[in-house]
Amino acid sequence: MKPDLTSNRRTFLRSSSALIGLPFLESFGFRRFASAATPITPPKRLAFLGMGFGVTRDSWFPDLKTTGTDYELTPGLSPLARHKDDITVIQNLSNQFNNEAHWGSTFWLTGANRYAEPGQSFHNSISVDQVAAETLGKETRFSSIQLGYRGGDNSGHGPGLSLSWNRQGKPVAALNTPVAAFHRLFSDDSTPLAERQAALLQQRSVLDTVLEDAKSTQKGLSKTDTDKLDEYFQSIREIETRLSKEEEWLDVPKLKPSQPLKEPGEGLEGVEEMKVMYDLILAAMEVDASRVFSYRQPLDTMIRSMGSTITAHNMSHYSDGPRKDVSEQRDAKQSELFAHFIDRMKGIQEADGSSLFDNTTLTLGTNINSIHYLNNCPTLVTGGGSGIKHGRHLVMKDPKSPLCNLWLSLLNGSGIEAESHGDSTGIIEELFV
Amino acid sequence: MKFALLPAVLIFLLAFPASAADEATAKMPEAHFAIFDKYCLECHDSLTEEGGVNLDDLSFKIDSVASAELWQKVLNSLNSGEMPPEDEPQLSDKEKTGFLDDLSHELVAAREILSDSGGMITMRRLNRREYENTIYDLLGVRIDAEDLPADTNSDGFDTTGASLFFSSDQFEQYLKLAHNALDKTFLLSKEAPKVMSFERESEPSINKFFEKQSTKLKSNYDKAQEWRAVAKEKPPKAFGFIDENDVAFHERLYNQQYATYRQYLDRPESKTGILLYRLFNGAVLDTVNVSPKWPAGEYTLKVRVAALEGAPSHERFLEYGIKTANGRAGELDLLGCVEVTGTMADPQILEIPVTVEKTGSRSYGLRQRQHNNRDAARADFLKAQVKNKVGPPPALWIDRIEISGPHFETWPPRGVTDLFFKGREWWKRPDEDAYAREIIERFAARAFRIKEPSPAYLEKLYELYAKGKSDGKKLHEAIREPLATILASPGFLYLIEPVPASGEGRNSPSSTKREPKRKLTDPELAVRLSYFLWSSPPDKALYDVARAGELSDPAKLAAQTNRMLKDPRSDAFISSFAHQWLHMERLDFFQFDFRQFPEFDDSVKAAARQEVYETMRSVINERRPLKDLLKTDHVVVNNLLADYYGLEGVEGGEFRKVSLPADSPRGGLLGMAATMAMGSDGNRSSPVERGAWVMRKLLDDPPPPAPANVPQLSRLQGKLLSPRELQNAHMEEAQCAQCHRKIDPIGYGLENFDAAGKWRETMILTQAGRKKKAKLRKTIDIDAHGQLPGGAAFDDFAGLRDAIANQGSAFERGFIEALIEYALGRPYGFSDESLREKLLKRARAKNGEMREFILALVQSKPFRTKK
Repeated sequence: MKPDLTSNRRTFLRSSSALIGLPFLESFGFRRFASAATPITPPKRLAFLGMGFGVTRDSWFPDLKTTGTDYELTPGLSPLARHKDDITVIQNLSNQFNNEAHWGSTFWLTGANRYAEPGQSFHNSISVDQVAAETLGKETRFSSIQLGYRGGDNSGHGPGLSLSWNRQGKPVAALNTPVAAFHRLFSDDSTPLAERQAALLQQRSVLDTVLEDAKSTQKGLSKTDTDKLDEYFQSIREIETRLSKEEEWLDVPKLKPSQPLKEPGEGLEGVEEMKVMYDLILAAMEVDASRVFSYRQPLDTMIRSMGSTITAHNMSHYSDGPRKDVSEQRDAKQSELFAHFIDRMKGIQEADGSSLFDNTTLTLGTNINSIHYLNNCPTLVTGGGSGIKHGRHLVMKDPKSPLCNLWLSLLNGSGIEAESHGDSTGIIEELFV
Repeated sequence: MKFALLPAVLIFLLAFPASAADEATAKMPEAHFAIFDKYCLECHDSLTEEGGVNLDDLSFKIDSVASAELWQKVLNSLNSGEMPPEDEPQLSDKEKTGFLDDLSHELVAAREILSDSGGMITMRRLNRREYENTIYDLLGVRIDAEDLPADTNSDGFDTTGASLFFSSDQFEQYLKLAHNALDKTFLLSKEAPKVMSFERESEPSINKFFEKQSTKLKSNYDKAQEWRAVAKEKPPKAFGFIDENDVAFHERLYNQQYATYRQYLDRPESKTGILLYRLFNGAVLDTVNVSPKWPAGEYTLKVRVAALEGAPSHERFLEYGIKTANGRAGELDLLGCVEVTGTMADPQILEIPVTVEKTGSRSYGLRQRQHNNRDAARADFLKAQVKNKVGPPPALWIDRIEISGPHFETWPPRGVTDLFFKGREWWKRPDEDAYAREIIERFAARAFRIKEPSPAYLEKLYELYAKGKSDGKKLHEAIREPLATILASPGFLYLIEPVPASGEGRNSPSSTKREPKRKLTDPELAVRLSYFLWSSPPDKALYDVARAGELSDPAKLAAQTNRMLKDPRSDAFISSFAHQWLHMERLDFFQFDFRQFPEFDDSVKAAARQEVYETMRSVINERRPLKDLLKTDHVVVNNLLADYYGLEGVEGGEFRKVSLPADSPRGGLLGMAATMAMGSDGNRSSPVERGAWVMRKLLDDPPPPAPANVPQLSRLQGKLLSPRELQNAHMEEAQCAQCHRKIDPIGYGLENFDAAGKWRETMILTQAGRKKKAKLRKTIDIDAHGQLPGGAAFDDFAGLRDAIANQGSAFERGFIEALIEYALGRPYGFSDESLREKLLKRARAKNGEMREFILALVQSKPFRTKK
């Protein structure tokens, strides 16, 4: 007898906010047979890795004068030598509105203007990964996966709970430890099916109950407060979507990747933590648990785990001396981990004989160039998922080319129809020719 | 009809003069017209519009998002040196500094004006602190809300509703936390647990271990010597070694540790107790484990302890904490630090309360006070070993430990009796389900504070219970789901202040767009007041006054405010307000270098942080002026901090007032270890960080945000420069000079405090060699003279402190602005200026007492109004 309850709730959800479509309505009761087995044509995937504070200026960026295939990898990029033909370094991309010299992630994937809304001191808009998730996320257990790290916010990312921001420009929360990500992605619930169905039903009854209170709360509220309460509704709606998906996927066991994964330890920090997160992203891609990933990376603990005793902020204000050494070591370590990620992507085979690498687009970067510079955001793209012709160093003619042009290019290249993103003015055609 | 409109509008305009926000404008001084003319307009006028930028029509009033953006571009391109282009005439340094100074400040002002919400208060959810406290108030158990997403905020307080988001997973996290809390509460609803107790001597296990270790070291060493005697004839393998390196390894171990173990075992004190040494492998801990079978709750550790003769005062403290899987040898999750006054002739018994949790580590460690870092213990050991062969002498000795518990203030605990208000023995009642319904309804009403739960909602809650019952659960199991659901509902999670529908508000004639506003009801005022002063819901006394309709009476409101400020729950206000206002999170940003600052360990750091709060507490309680925070003749410290400051005769861990000698640099925020440590990076003091902090927090003259894309000074890299020389470098570039000429001199005035806040007359400059180059090093005298921005000159720190204390009215202004933000839960805006002036006037009429600021704000109209 559940249909009655749920249809009421949904009717209500639909009426409570006209802004949001309910993706699960389309998929409700519809079994995606294709997803249970590996699809014949491998899906497109996107992943974004945000570094926080910027890189070392004079040892990360390749020489501006050497463009195309004829460029030399810098010390900061040299660990990527074996993949040189498969990566693209792009210069002169930036977010024109960001004036926050310590915010490397807040607007990185959104391109928003903090002050766009009069009467508000902070505004943001949807991030590119969440745009992609609206399309690519339909057929997977998880529409998108956000990863982060635990603890203080001293790594140069700026406000936000992950790299991701939803359609309303509100922060999307992250899985902040490898162990949490592991369980979300790969832990199988050993409870019998009937009990899990009962639990889902129970969860729906709980949602119905709180919505009853939310409805009565909403009645007397001012316009602003109604908007505020909408975040609550949005949260419930997203859980609804997930429960519907869980229902669809209830008897589909979570797949195991080809390289067995162990449950990560609780206290992992820094470089080890990043390695495990990378492994988890790869494993999740391989079993098609999700096709969209964002990872806001730790920096304080990263450099500490490399033996440094200074803070990330301190490092980012390097001058010649030990701080710069740390900064350069960090750059090289980032490239080394990235190179390893590419190795693994190339080694995992898809159903049609291609590799994971051929169908994925992976971006490493941040909104901060170096120190307090916000122009020329460090940007490294790899993978065959969006049809980029790799092996080149591209320097945009206009030194203030919108970073969002790259995001738009990746969306379109991955088969997602979008006319614009953030402050984009068009795609970067050079990427594809 | 048409004619009648006009006078109505006029009357309206007269009756509703433009608000302060409408009047406030950010404006570039017209004196800068000339700069535009001279350097910009040739290319960027309306005819040429080079790069699509036309400055001809750019208004010097920055009054729209669009004009702010264009001005931002002007600022950015000047800062980056992009404009004017290299081959064009350049601004003189003086012109550039002046222009940038004005523009960066005006732009900050413009952003604030454009972001001004006109005093609107956005409904907010409970932040993490408030959530924890509210759960405690309802259920009597403490839970850790750390797993909830951080209460992020771009700048400002964790009470700002507009910045407190509700993210997608958050709902489920609330449900999970609520279940955890309820499980804890229900755990307590059974019979009173028996008090468990366990006592043991401290020495047997460590003595046995050291005996074994030293025997092993010695026998390996002897074997190594035997091999050495015949090394030319026989291989190391013949003596059980892998190779020659293995021989050397065992000799090294012996040399490092053997003498220490022997000396430990030979000391008479080790026959009767444990000596808290620092060893090669870290600090010696005396550890006591609580059996996993024992119930969770409050326990007491009784420790028989003594300080050894001749131990230095700062080592006569015992630290205790929890041993965790992540900690290395001797490291603890620190819980506290107590002074040891007992002697070997007359040991004392310390009673230490600890909370034993159901899950997680139940291993408690005690050690001599030190840096919470194995490497620090090792460094201390190695340093002392060079001199005495055995390592640093211990300061403390523990005879034995007894642990007993759990103890309860009352049984059954408050949380249980509050829930099962008609008694716990529901199974004896014939009307069990009706009782459950009452429990749910009562709990919902309490959890929702003032909002009335709707009948439909209550019915659904009951259905959750009924479903559980029909699945075969008992009352105390089935009732958890509805109770947890209540704790994840908007009525509990949000501080709700509904408004009349648009058009019904008192000032509705002005515009239908304007948000209606109204006076808060007394119960709503009670909730706002208690979350302001306690970060918790109102207690019964406050609800009673409110429900009697008396709280809006100014005298009653003042009386309640005074009562609440006296209550220890107001610690929540003092500490969270001060922590956020003064940006004290910086204290946790870095590890302090144990080599340079051996005494600035976690215990002193915690006491230094507490000093800030306790000082404010004493200023509020004693009705002293807010300005006393800038300069006083005393400090508020405990024994630990007094020892750190070199003040004698302070015994006991509680904070109290201690008079200072006339020439002391302490007394006031600037002389506090916490403040000065915040202005460092754990290694070196940072004059820029300190100077900017003083301008932001004490002088109410915040420097604009660090500009993006300013070219770096590279000329000076690799040189050993005094702070003064660096300052001069900052002055070379106009982009830097515009701010650093104000910031830096204040920072240099504070250089007599080292990175950990200790006083110094000289400082050592070092420049670690990049890669393999040699380290540079020299000692210089500190020169603290300088000048406040546009104001008084000073010769030294005392002069600086006096000059800042003389600008106490700026400090008051900054404080009340922060207090408005924290209390109202919204950013301070330009439209708040008249409110600020009113509050200042009222408080100054009462000698500028800190308490008076709070009282004035609580009684002000905005605090009593939903807008």
